[in-house]
Amino acid sequence: MGTIRVRFIIVALVVSFFAVGMAAFLNYFKYKSTISSIVRSRVLVIGRNIENSVQASLSVGMQFMEIGTMNALLARERAADRLIQGIDVFDHTGQVIYSTERARVGEKVPNAWTDAAARSKTTEWGTEGADEYVAGISLKNNFDLTVGYLALRYSSEEVERAAKAAGREILLASIFSFLGIALVAPLALIVVIRRFERDLRALEAAASRLEDRGEATMTAGSAFDSAIGNLRSSLRDANSSLDDLRARLDSAG
Amino acid sequence: MKRAFLSFLMVAMVLVTDHAVQAQLTTRPYRIYAITFRGKTDVERGFEDYFAARRIPVVITYRDLNRDNSRMPGFIEEIRRTKPDLVYTWGTSVTLGVVGTYDQVDPTQNITDIPVVFTLVAAPVLAKIVRDLKNPGRNVTGVYHVAPTETQIRAMASYRPFKSLGILYTPTEQNSVVVVEEVREVSRRLGFSVVAKPLRLDANKKVTAEGAPEMVKELKTQNNVDWLYLPPDSFLGTIAQKSIIPAAMSVGLPAFASTEQLMETGALTGLVSRYHSIGQFTAYKAEQILVNRVPPSKIPVETLTRFALQVRMDVAEMLKLPPPLPMFNYAELIVPKPEDRIQNSLAAIAAETAKGATAQK
Amino acid sequence: MLEKNYLWRIYWRLAGVIMVCVVVALAVVSYFSHHVFDQELVPETEQKAATVAASVRALVLKATSYGIDFSQLYGVEQTFAEVFEENPEFAYMAVTNTDGNVLYTRGTEPIGARTYFRNAVVLQMAHETTEISNSARVGQQYIVSVPINDNGKPLGILHVGIDAAFVDHVLLEVLLDVVVVLVVSLFFTLELLNFMAGARLASGLGEFARQVDRMRSGDFTATARVRANDEIGRLLRRIDSAIDHLNVRYEFLAGELQDKLRTAVGARREALKPAQHAFEALSKRFRFGAAPEGADLDEMNLNRIRAPLFAFILAEELTRSFLPSYVNQLLVNIPGISPQVVIGLPIMLFMLIVALGQPYLGSWSERVGRRRAMLVGAIMATVGFAGTALAYNLYDLILWRSLCALGYAMVFVAAQGYVLDRTGQQNRAQGFALFIGAIMVATVCGPSIGGILADNIGFRASFGVSALMALVSILAINRLPAIEAKIAVTKPTRGPRMREIMALLVNRRFMTLTGLAAMPAKIILTGVCFYLVPLYIVSIGNTSAMAGRMLMVYAVMMVLIVPLSASLSDATMRRDRYVSVGLIISGLSGLLLLLSESFLVLFGVVFLLGLGQALSIAAQSALVAEHCQEEIRIYGNDAVYGVYRLLERLGNALGPLIASLLVIVWGYQGAFIAISALVLFCGIAFTVATHGSDWQPAPVPQ
Repeated sequence: MGTIRVRFIIVALVVSFFAVGMAAFLNYFKYKSTISSIVRSRVLVIGRNIENSVQASLSVGMQFMEIGTMNALLARERAADRLIQGIDVFDHTGQVIYSTERARVGEKVPNAWTDAAARSKTTEWGTEGADEYVAGISLKNNFDLTVGYLALRYSSEEVERAAKAAGREILLASIFSFLGIALVAPLALIVVIRRFERDLRALEAAASRLEDRGEATMTAGSAFDSAIGNLRSSLRDANSSLDDLRARLDSAG
Repeated sequence: MKRAFLSFLMVAMVLVTDHAVQAQLTTRPYRIYAITFRGKTDVERGFEDYFAARRIPVVITYRDLNRDNSRMPGFIEEIRRTKPDLVYTWGTSVTLGVVGTYDQVDPTQNITDIPVVFTLVAAPVLAKIVRDLKNPGRNVTGVYHVAPTETQIRAMASYRPFKSLGILYTPTEQNSVVVVEEVREVSRRLGFSVVAKPLRLDANKKVTAEGAPEMVKELKTQNNVDWLYLPPDSFLGTIAQKSIIPAAMSVGLPAFASTEQLMETGALTGLVSRYHSIGQFTAYKAEQILVNRVPPSKIPVETLTRFALQVRMDVAEMLKLPPPLPMFNYAELIVPKPEDRIQNSLAAIAAETAKGATAQK
Repeated sequence: MLEKNYLWRIYWRLAGVIMVCVVVALAVVSYFSHHVFDQELVPETEQKAATVAASVRALVLKATSYGIDFSQLYGVEQTFAEVFEENPEFAYMAVTNTDGNVLYTRGTEPIGARTYFRNAVVLQMAHETTEISNSARVGQQYIVSVPINDNGKPLGILHVGIDAAFVDHVLLEVLLDVVVVLVVSLFFTLELLNFMAGARLASGLGEFARQVDRMRSGDFTATARVRANDEIGRLLRRIDSAIDHLNVRYEFLAGELQDKLRTAVGARREALKPAQHAFEALSKRFRFGAAPEGADLDEMNLNRIRAPLFAFILAEELTRSFLPSYVNQLLVNIPGISPQVVIGLPIMLFMLIVALGQPYLGSWSERVGRRRAMLVGAIMATVGFAGTALAYNLYDLILWRSLCALGYAMVFVAAQGYVLDRTGQQNRAQGFALFIGAIMVATVCGPSIGGILADNIGFRASFGVSALMALVSILAINRLPAIEAKIAVTKPTRGPRMREIMALLVNRRFMTLTGLAAMPAKIILTGVCFYLVPLYIVSIGNTSAMAGRMLMVYAVMMVLIVPLSASLSDATMRRDRYVSVGLIISGLSGLLLLLSESFLVLFGVVFLLGLGQALSIAAQSALVAEHCQEEIRIYGNDAVYGVYRLLERLGNALGPLIASLLVIVWGYQGAFIAISALVLFCGIAFTVATHGSDWQPAPVPQ
């Protein structure tokens, strides 16, 4: 009776593995995206403060390239949150114009930044590098022309650490619930399988007595009663015809 | 006479900043012929700044009309002779002088074969410079500077929500009449009432300041309006500081200015176009024509997408109407020098009228 | 058949038990996740609240620096409202003075807030000039407080309240995906049950049922088959032995009768007459002896096609919900072609290759063998998926997708051939139900899971998953029987000839069916489901997972309605009426967007589209046989159906093209509406065209 039972249980385990795995996967990624977006929006709050200042300078007729107070402003805003590692402002060619680090001025930013900024449909954009994340804002002038980009570099460590911790716990919870299911599912399945096996056994038993001439001694209630009845009657029919032939042969001597 | 014009300032801006531009520089700079109305303003500075920032080599020849239309034929003649790449025109009269109205173009007197960008025209359609803002259809495009009426109304509401709006306007100025109509249209959509009072006309059908202060006071005391809106109205601009604003302040009625000039008369707040930004935007349109080779007839006539919201902090303090907190993020807060504060200028005006009254006696 | 239903009852019961277990496990995982979220998200959100509070404070201090009295500020609530809009997890904000009295407030005040604000420790904060913040749980909120201090002059305290339930909201968003996982799990369960145990059980029980039927009709011929060593196998062996016994008895009696007849003469021969009559009657009623070879149909091997086909189709379906977005990302400007059309290009090309390739691949797979053809196709597709995952830009992407298309067409055609080879007249429908079933389940599971994957691990990694899935299908195909079943009577299939295509193209009856019903149905399917939905959903700021859910709604409708309408259209109503109603419902679907732009309406759109398509799909191809008898007589069944399928599949290729052109002119919503209107028009035209008397159902040929 083993093979079918084992197969059904394997199905249960495979499906539960899929479902629990997917749920763990979903929860983990939701967690990661939520925590990244919380951290990013925190960084962007500071970005917006800078944007407002830039906007004010532009609107009184200052040239974007010549905002004298910019580096000081960036340094001040950077100090507002320990998470922020540096703030750069670059133009459409990717060249850094202002930065919290003097050495970066005049350097080119990675292409990934300009690509992310170009792809974004809103003024906000972001990329995730290996050890630092970037949250950015596209700076627009009074006639909606993008004059430059603000990039806030912040440590990926905060997000990574939180994600790792949560990932471990979600993984543990999933493993335990999968193990739980591995124990419970076979027991629960056996109830259904038993019934199926009983039907099959009844069928087999009936089949083993197919050639008994006696009246039907079927275990009632099997789903195959009528089929077995059919079989028996066909067999009986054939046998009785053969009996008849035998009798006639015998009577003929 | 012509010599005198030619001795006018000539500005050539050629910027050499890095190697990338070098190649571009070997081609000759674009030649722009600019006609101003009353000398150089911030608009021209923005115009030049934009080319500098974009590293586009241009040579701009400035000519000033100096409010004297008789100088126009000379300019036209010079344009024909020097064949610049682009003509830049400041204001409605200069623009009309160069390109004419769309229904009465005279190829002998107007420029048709050289692209023209205009700037600081309040109402390009009304002035018959273009038929359709989105699709100019002639060799002319440009920038207008008045914020859309609805944008102004919304700015007013974001300062203090209101149910009723008072307007004083000159019935003989078509520009104002149109704006008043627009305000009425917006009021039907946004749900507020409008009390618009035309200024009186004298026996010669000439508009007069007579009775204007009383009308302002009535708006507050009888019609119970929440704001006084000052439309882009030339005559109103000349009497605002002396009679309208003092009357409004005396009854505690805040005034909203639609132009920078009106703002300077002592309105509480106003939505104005920064001349510098307007100049940059005009240069952007010029770039489309010169560098990107888009025909002007296909470049829409537009205004800025963001305007400067100005607030006079001394007026706000006197009216006890501080700007709402979010506005501190984006508004331009004006704190005048002590001698220019509204209290002082009101006192000065009061003294002057008192003197005038005694003198008349 | 009783036994088949019996087996499905068992499956459903098993699936029910498994689902209950899965739901419990998911609940446990969610519970623990909630715990983790609470633990980690709250401190992180408090940090953010402190930063936001500092920004608001800066604004307040700016206002007071202009001489505005701290207690006379205007529009503070408005600032709070703007903060709430940006940060929905914040529920409450307040500013108090140095005595703890609330000056400005907005949002839901937590119970106990007023007492908390007057707490001496909290009030002490106002004197702090450094960057500090304080957080505490008050009622149902976490309150983060920062001092407002103007260069040593304490003004008050700003409090930000974080709704403690925000973690629930975050998890609620996951819940929708978890429900999708549940639905997919259910289908997986049924598919796996069928794969792991069912193929054998079903064929065993089917064999048993046929045996019962055979014996009832008096057929006791013995089959010389090897029975599997399981429950059903043993049962069949018992029956086999009973039959063998009967046969032995029969042989013996027949031999004895022959012997006696040979030796008997005269009266003894007369005496044998009754026995001889009985024997003749017996031979008339029953048949004994060995069963004719080859009459047995290979049902077990037939069932084995299902798993590899499912795995393979799943690989392709996974990409449905995000392929257009991926193309969008790799977009290269092709001068002269609008980017909208370019995005549709890979889908269009895919459909075109499948459409044009199928007729020719059919005979090819017959020559090289079905299994080998499937293997080659699956390997090509695997390479194609891997290439797509690593695509550099649009150009090589198109190359890789074409490879996938070719592989898809090969596997599809070969699998179809595999089914054809192993079914006879009486069980062909059943064979195709199996074939279609595997595809439908894949369309339910694929797009939804694919969307979830794409959102979380990215487009490229998701294509990697597709490649993996195609690889799995290679392994499964490899296990198919290597011996090809050949049925002698089938003549080699061939692609339709150009002459036949031209003749049918101008045939009014044929084109009414094809041009007004079959092609529009496919155009709206690929145009809306494969092109517009994924792009529109993402364009309004939603996710690929949402697009996947939409496509799942469509697929579930198909799974539920198609079997129903297939059996109904045979019985109750004229088939062409089903097609009319289906087309008109499909045509009305997109018009829903006239009512509202909300994406919930889009669910209604795919629901109606699925309903409409499901109603008409089964009836459409049957109508060809019913109404184009004349044409079938002239050109042959293969040619008529060949051209029909070809045009239908060209409709598949046209869908994205038409949709993309419509998007250029009218935008996404306009495209939805226009494409629906087109189908609605075709539906009405079809109804009018089939109204005439020559469209009355033809008498059933007996």
